[in-house]
Amino acid sequence: MRDNNFFADVYNKVIGFFRQAEQESHTKDVARNRLRVVLMQDRTNINPALLERMRKDLVKLLTKYLEMDNEALELNLEEDDGQMALMLSIPVIRAKDEDEIEEESCHCEEGTDEAIQENSDEEIDEREEELEEESEEQCLCSELECVCGDEEADQLKLTEEKEEKIKSNKKTG
Amino acid sequence: MTGRVIVITSGKGGVGKTTTNANIGTALAKSGKKVVMIDTDLGLRNLDLLLGLENRIVYTIVDVVEERCKLKQALVKDKKNPHLCLLAAAQTRDKSAVTEEQLKDICEQLQKDFDYVLVDCPAGIEQGFQNAVAGASEAIVVTTPEMSAVRDADRIIGLLEAKEDMKSYKLLINRVRPSLVKSNDMMSVDDVVEILSSELVGIIPEDTGIITSTNKGEPIVNDEKSPAGKAYQNVARRIMGEDVPFMDLEEDTGVVAKVKKFFSGLVGKEK
Repeated sequence: MRDNNFFADVYNKVIGFFRQAEQESHTKDVARNRLRVVLMQDRTNINPALLERMRKDLVKLLTKYLEMDNEALELNLEEDDGQMALMLSIPVIRAKDEDEIEEESCHCEEGTDEAIQENSDEEIDEREEELEEESEEQCLCSELECVCGDEEADQLKLTEEKEEKIKSNKKTG
Repeated sequence: MTGRVIVITSGKGGVGKTTTNANIGTALAKSGKKVVMIDTDLGLRNLDLLLGLENRIVYTIVDVVEERCKLKQALVKDKKNPHLCLLAAAQTRDKSAVTEEQLKDICEQLQKDFDYVLVDCPAGIEQGFQNAVAGASEAIVVTTPEMSAVRDADRIIGLLEAKEDMKSYKLLINRVRPSLVKSNDMMSVDDVVEILSSELVGIIPEDTGIITSTNKGEPIVNDEKSPAGKAYQNVARRIMGEDVPFMDLEEDTGVVAKVKKFFSGLVGKEK
């Protein structure tokens, strides 16, 4: 018993020592990394909210051609040799075949007109850009209903849409 | 003669702009240069205090602009060094009392009689900053190794780069604490230089002597033994074009090192 306690003590002390050392050596690196990120945002005027909006739009655009893990698509602002760059990482499962793409694009065209009409009735105050975005969203939603008919995916899309609407309402309000 | 007009700026307040101004000015004057310092922080003037000249101010920059006195009448001579002058800010007016054009004009006039015109800039990026940089063709950006100060310095650098008449700007890193840098709890000089990708003009160590020297109204460069005083002296020499190596702040200043130094000193004397 005694031996066991002794070893446990020593083990804890050793682990504790390394943990402490780890924490201590980090505050400067934490500061440096946080500063790097915030300066990239300051210099380019690209903030996390804008990145998230672009990410969502890219998901919509790419799902026309690709089957992929939508949630894992990453869009990050990075610095390389003093040059700012947007890095896009797309987790691809497979490309859609011609028929699927064709089908989606014709659905999309049909959907757009309806969507714009709906929107302009509901939200007149919205800026033009936002209107366009909104319409694309709706169009994609209708596609998803037709193409996959997957209830879960539809719900996901719809909640995203709601979020977007809430955001844009906040902005205009 | 055409003197150099250098603005000392930082974005963030409290990083040591005015202290830097007083010390660089004093150091340059001690080397025999004719120096004038302009305090453009209208309403919040402090440069007079750091130089111990607060009781000698009769006219301010606003009196010059509003033609209540001639420019030369408003210049206050330093107690010790006749080569050093101060054009004080008005304490009772706000930043709008002087325009960019007026400051530019004052700088141009002073350039004719002085080797160096040092402009002390207020904190912030508003009109006060725009006024202060208007007449300058060089800048010293003061920062500390803290996130907020570095971020603000980055903003200032962006604004300086956008200004056509600004020929060059250099970085002065103030209040560096070697023990914290060593224990990895403070960003090092190299970190800050890399992040801001700017040329360095000085590294000033944190020094409690700054507080006592401010109390006395005497810039710390007059105390040649103090670390900050030495560092400011080096900055002035670099401004004058000398190639002075940067201080090694990584030097061991722990108790053991001091004891070692003490004994090695004793041994040296015995020999």
